Amino acid sequence: MKQFGLQLVLPLALLLAGCSFVSPYDETTDRLLTDLSVKTQTAIAAADAGQLSVADREKFFSEAIGTLETIKARATLLNVSNKNQEEISAIEQLEQRYRDLQQHGGSPRTSLTTGLRATLLALQQIEIAKKRSSVFSAGLKKSTSTQ
Amino acid sequence: MDLDVSDLSQNMLSAALGAAKGHAADLESYLKARAHLIADGTVQIGKDRLAGVITDDDVKFAFEQIKESEATSLLAIEVTVKAAAQDAINAALAVAAGAINKAIGFALL
Repeated sequence: MKQFGLQLVLPLALLLAGCSFVSPYDETTDRLLTDLSVKTQTAIAAADAGQLSVADREKFFSEAIGTLETIKARATLLNVSNKNQEEISAIEQLEQRYRDLQQHGGSPRTSLTTGLRATLLALQQIEIAKKRSSVFSAGLKKSTSTQ
Repeated sequence: MDLDVSDLSQNMLSAALGAAKGHAADLESYLKARAHLIADGTVQIGKDRLAGVITDDDVKFAFEQIKESEATSLLAIEVTVKAAAQDAINAALAVAAGAINKAIGFALL
């Protein structure tokens, strides 16, 4: 049976302790994205029913783009060591989907918003991954400190 | 007190795999949801075009937007894989730290 002395394991453990590849989970970002998703689905349902006026449509796009600018500002603050770059890129891509739809004109019906909704879903998956990791790290710290 | 490499490596591996499992399940759910969303949207594009609610130009636009969304999907998968790797590594390290603490008889790490 092979055995290692503490002098080999200890420096290695200290060197690698607290490994981090993604930026921390931000609850506010997650909440803003969920709110944006609800507003988007509501606008799409109204558009499908022919009940979204031109004024409502423009208000919807302005608010969506404003929300994404806010989320991007928070994500940039959390971009320590470039660990939030994927999320920032995803936010920019989602903002572009809203701008494309606004410039294309017409009502944001279900059929025209598939790409936008798929982009929104991708960003929500990023939040789910970060949240799971955050919960896991908290549990790990708790169990390590109670050993 | 010395540490047993075989036991320690097995425990580290178990912890790492356990940590990555949740992310793997999330990724599967995400990919299923994405496939369903795009399939549903594609059917709707066909229905709306047949009903004359949208034009050929709208169909091309909608399909182009779906293609554009692939780049964001790739980013989501990338972050999920990184988060899984991070948790797996940290879980294994926590096992190693626990083994060291146990071996020396106090919580150094």
